[in-house]
Amino acid sequence: MALHLNLLHEEIFEQRQRQRDPLKIGMMVLGGLGALMLLYYLWNAYKVLEIRSRLSQAEHDWSKVEPKVTSAHKRSAELNGIISTTKVLDGMIDGRFFWAPFLEKLSRCVALNAQLTSIDGTVLDDGKISIVIEGLAAGREPRAAAEELRQLLLEQLGQSYQEVKVEFKALEDLDTIVKIGGANQAMARFGINATFTTQVSKPSPTPGPRMKVRG
Amino acid sequence: MKQIKVKLSKNQIQKIMLSGMGFVVLVYVYFSFFLGPLNNSRDTMLGQITELQDKVTNSKSELTKTAKLEKQAETATNRFAALKALSPEGAPIAWFPPRMKAFFANQQIDKATARLENSSAYKETDLANWMRYSWVIELPQADFASLGTAIAALENAEPLLSITRISVKALPDDPQFQQITMVASTAMVKR
Repeated sequence: MALHLNLLHEEIFEQRQRQRDPLKIGMMVLGGLGALMLLYYLWNAYKVLEIRSRLSQAEHDWSKVEPKVTSAHKRSAELNGIISTTKVLDGMIDGRFFWAPFLEKLSRCVALNAQLTSIDGTVLDDGKISIVIEGLAAGREPRAAAEELRQLLLEQLGQSYQEVKVEFKALEDLDTIVKIGGANQAMARFGINATFTTQVSKPSPTPGPRMKVRG
Repeated sequence: MKQIKVKLSKNQIQKIMLSGMGFVVLVYVYFSFFLGPLNNSRDTMLGQITELQDKVTNSKSELTKTAKLEKQAETATNRFAALKALSPEGAPIAWFPPRMKAFFANQQIDKATARLENSSAYKETDLANWMRYSWVIELPQADFASLGTAIAALENAEPLLSITRISVKALPDDPQFQQITMVASTAMVKR
């Protein structure tokens, strides 16, 4: 076996030591990693730029639509206001009490032997109508003539209104004699209170028929 | 099994530690100052894009709704304009009494007067731009039939007028005629 002598072993050892320098290797690894990170960062930055251009496009689209939407919002609010105001006003209009038909009905109830001296009508807060009528009635039985007027009024008002009440507030004979159709007739003074409503009060809902379930 | 033992000198260990620290610093700087802010800005922009796209999508339906509403509200708009036109420009006390006087004169009832009793705002929020005026209308002399006809015409001609109280008294000297006092409330646009 031949003897092999390495006379340069120290130089070779030093060279190997230099090649294995951890700092050098670490710096190379860090450099490589840094390069990879930079590439990844650049890729992300490119994607962000793309997103930014999408954002500016979206902003541009919105800026075109925004004035229309704002004016549409305003118009919509205005229209809703008009609709609701008109609804409330229509409710007020429909909820009015019309006095002309009432006066017409009242005029039909007054016979020749009766005279109304005063009519006071008021629309109450709860929607009821209150009427106070004062007048004179003449006849052989003046009280009967007044009663006839009351009953006629009750009948006439009952045809158009609800919850009609017609009651005497006062009814008294007078000493005065009046001549009607050539005949002397006694007189009575009367006062009538009438109350009624124009709307039917809502009945409570009745339950529907029970359904039989056959097994 | 053969075990490979690597002997590291103190100098080499120091260098390895230095490289490790360099690695940690690199990673920290990269995520804190580069990638983190970039990702944050990306997320913010994506959120803004979604928000804007939602807005644009909603705006289309909003515009459609408004167009539909415009069609539906045509009747209400016309009616509202007609009701508004019942309140002319100017203070109501300036034009309402003459209007009533002229109206009753047309109905053959002379000497009608109207005076303002009070005015107040409506409680309803929908009527924020409207005022309630209460008027006392006096007709010193009218026969019952003319009165009925005039009131019917008034109630038809003035939809926003509502007679809340009426008092008819026979004139003692002339029982054919009556003296009438009415309280009427009207809704009028605030001017």
